[in-house]
Amino acid sequence: MSDLVISTFETEAKRERSAIGSLRIVQTACIFVIALVIVSPLFMLVIASLKDDRFQILADMGSFRAFWVSNPTLSNFAEVGNLSGELAFGRYLLNSLIILATTVGAGLIINSMAGFVLAWGSLRGRALILSLVIALYVIPQESIIMPLVIMVSRAGITDTFTVQIVPWVASPLYIFLFYQFFAQLPKELFEAAEMDGASVFRIYRSIFLPLSLPALATVSILMGIESWNQYLWPILVTQTDYARPISVAIATFFGQDSIYWDRAMAASVLMMIPILALYLVFQRWFVSSFVGSAVKG
Amino acid sequence: MTLQQPALPATALARPARRRDRGRLFQEIGMLAPAVALLTIFLIVPFLLSFWTAMTNQPLVPRPTPVRFIGLTNFLRIFKDDLFWTSLWNVSRFTFWILPVQCGLAFATALLLHQKLPLRNFFRGLFFLPAITSMVVVCVIWGTLFQYPTGPLNQIIGFLSGGRIQPIDWLGDPNWAMFSIVLLSAWQAYGFQMIVYLAGLQGIPDELYDAARIDGANAFQRFWHVTMPGLRPTHVFVLVITTIQAFKLYTQVAILTQGGPKSSTETVVHYMVRAGFEEQKLGYASAVSVILFVIVLIIALVQRQLLRRFDV
Repeated sequence: MSDLVISTFETEAKRERSAIGSLRIVQTACIFVIALVIVSPLFMLVIASLKDDRFQILADMGSFRAFWVSNPTLSNFAEVGNLSGELAFGRYLLNSLIILATTVGAGLIINSMAGFVLAWGSLRGRALILSLVIALYVIPQESIIMPLVIMVSRAGITDTFTVQIVPWVASPLYIFLFYQFFAQLPKELFEAAEMDGASVFRIYRSIFLPLSLPALATVSILMGIESWNQYLWPILVTQTDYARPISVAIATFFGQDSIYWDRAMAASVLMMIPILALYLVFQRWFVSSFVGSAVKG
Repeated sequence: MTLQQPALPATALARPARRRDRGRLFQEIGMLAPAVALLTIFLIVPFLLSFWTAMTNQPLVPRPTPVRFIGLTNFLRIFKDDLFWTSLWNVSRFTFWILPVQCGLAFATALLLHQKLPLRNFFRGLFFLPAITSMVVVCVIWGTLFQYPTGPLNQIIGFLSGGRIQPIDWLGDPNWAMFSIVLLSAWQAYGFQMIVYLAGLQGIPDELYDAARIDGANAFQRFWHVTMPGLRPTHVFVLVITTIQAFKLYTQVAILTQGGPKSSTETVVHYMVRAGFEEQKLGYASAVSVILFVIVLIIALVQRQLLRRFDV
């Protein structure tokens, strides 16, 4: 009786295993099809950026040559690298990099300090501030942008780097991410350091901050993507090339006649590189910590 | 030295401790202050101002005549504006399409990548690529893909259908324009959802699957009775985030269609920006932003209720 049960269980398992084998092939095929759909537009962009002849790019769009380049050249990138002139994409890239680095740098410090105090501080209004921060998260950027434009133009700071950096440094989401990360670290860590007479800032600076690499990585990536890809805000507050970011530059170009396709493609490729590098560097810590806090929070 | 300490009077001991406490308090306030100050100036104040501005006739460029308080007039005007209802209807249509397309694709991919397939970490990174690509770049790419009549997308469809399907004017045909925006938006953002789903799948304990297997559940039953219930909070999160994002649709439309053709891709945010900066009616635009906030708030509250019901 029990033998019979075991043997049917075994054949069942065997049947399931062979079914899994053929299922696996179907699954792998599906993944490759999805990969093709996801990658080919990006691939087309890179290919187009390597074509020298802008009329050829347009002509190739109508055929599978959109995915093939016979004599690749980097001349478009060289032209983009030019820091002055009519289509000074290099200048805009640099502007974006300055805005990105400053926003993320300041954001990491300011948000992590706030998150730390909210997690371990002894302030009386701590819980209240925390729930206020969480509540503020509901306000979308889009719905404060109108009054914010009035504010910054009254303050006379439009068309600067400041106006593109300072408003977005502190963020409820990132404060909350840091709070959550710090709060789950063991209590002993804080108590032992406090016992040794270390100040709060010292405990934050030399014990908790070095431990928070996953949170720092997550916030860097999210803030980086956000800052790098900002579009609505910069078109509202930049009027000249002085501090205009690359996203606005490409979009403005896009509205005009498409004679500079080649350079726009190259600029678009270049626009992907810094954020890709940021992602690749921090990716290891990013997934686990971002997702963990996102779904639960 | 250490031996002498207990002999000190209690007051002497207490004073440095209290001083340290006050120092600690100052430090904490100092560490919290930058964030609180920035959030107050750049989030709370403009947020409160938006309610005030919405009830005035505030223009974009200051005029000699003073700004007047006009109560709910802006809101009444908005509700009488057909273009507003069109924009609301359009973002609803966008949401209706983006939810199954983007979340469905993300869910399916996550299920596939959760299996022990070869190169799955590579694919995970690959599928995330569009998510870190700027929407402006995505518009450059898809703007060329969508070209009518000989763009790559039309060529591929013509090739696959053997020329039976006529080229589609993706962005120029009012019937197709919003769906085209859906396609490129889903392509761009689904990587995030996929990662969230993958984490959700990893959160379901293996023991549940083993138990189901021993109980004789087949693959489909295991999916329906173990995977799906285990993913409930993830589904809620993904659907709500996608809905909120959908209602804020702007960049794609601003770059590719400017709300057209025939207002078929006009969205709430695009309508707001147009009112504020083309028609220079900031008060009116602020009223739209207040409505947008209320919509987002309602969606977020629904999420909280759902999550509470699922006991998360």
